[in-house]
Amino acid sequence: MSIRPPTLREKRRYILIQIEPAGTSFDQKDLYYAVSDAITALWGDAMAAVIMAAVVASQGQHVVIRCRRGTERELAIALSTITTCRDTRIVVRIITASGTIETLRKRIRKMKPPGKEGVSPVEWTFEKRKVQIDQCNGQKVDVIEKGFKNTNRLFLIREDLEEL
Amino acid sequence: MKITDACVYPYPHGDSSVRRMALEAKELGFDRIVAADTPPGEFFGIEVFSGILIQQASVRDIPGRIKKDRNQQAVVSVQAGDNGFNRAVIGLKGVHILRGIQSADKTAFDHVAASMAADNRVAIDFDLSPLISGRGISRQRVMQRYRDILVLERRFEFPLTISSHARSVLEMRAVREIAGICTLLDMDIPDIQTAFFGIDTVSTLPLPSVKVI
Repeated sequence: MSIRPPTLREKRRYILIQIEPAGTSFDQKDLYYAVSDAITALWGDAMAAVIMAAVVASQGQHVVIRCRRGTERELAIALSTITTCRDTRIVVRIITASGTIETLRKRIRKMKPPGKEGVSPVEWTFEKRKVQIDQCNGQKVDVIEKGFKNTNRLFLIREDLEEL
Repeated sequence: MKITDACVYPYPHGDSSVRRMALEAKELGFDRIVAADTPPGEFFGIEVFSGILIQQASVRDIPGRIKKDRNQQAVVSVQAGDNGFNRAVIGLKGVHILRGIQSADKTAFDHVAASMAADNRVAIDFDLSPLISGRGISRQRVMQRYRDILVLERRFEFPLTISSHARSVLEMRAVREIAGICTLLDMDIPDIQTAFFGIDTVSTLPLPSVKVI
């Protein structure tokens, strides 16, 4: 089937989202399934066919999701019901919507990625428990608490931590 | 009037500290959070109210629990039970919110309880966590219950509150997202605003109907 001329193509909108917690690795395909599941569970197959959601690009924690113009609200509500992506706890934060992917790419470039900058490699404690810093973004600090059986991820700020 | 998330569970109930939750709430557009079993305070410009959730208690025990925590000026909420229990709780002084109405039985909150809630300024809480994380029939049932309660709310005008019941920052949602979810229940924007301000309604004393000059 040949590509339609621009005037006959359907108008699309692109939604920029951020996946949290920072540092979560995910596959675009798994995220697509999570988005698709959320839309179908909330709006049903008929509306999912109208929305035509697709994951079109990802850069670090930022992902661009495409939908049909006029269905952004439905997609946004469905995105807010995503809690896991392949058994990994995530949350989808909607940043903005645009008519072109390029505008969203410019927006991504302006954002500072989270990392471990400004954190000395010493051991920290939270509530008398040893923790290890995993991610840092401004005041926000994600730490890993290592227990006997398993590890827990805690979401804190710098003031919550004490140097060991 | 402040936009309030009427219940979050910080550490040790959840995996996020109350300060982190306050910071996250600020970024998500809230002005205030009610944090369960946490001393009140203010972090990053977000007011944190102390919340006390009374669960699995008989009606006789509740006044004692309220008296014990009266000095903290906390928001007291009680887990809903059957119809008789709910009516009795709504009539008690010091109870601010009736929670968990979605998991109580269908007749637990009727027109009499609704009228009493309006008279005593006791709010009914809409816990959005089943709408966010639930799927299928369980989510449909919760939606039905909330729609049913909204019918009574429009008739009797008792206060409503909205809460995320977040145990982690990953379970917190932005004000705009919550408003979007509430539109699924046929709530319009003024309804949603009123529900966000529900804590102000229940925590302030009512104006006297007669003003003595």
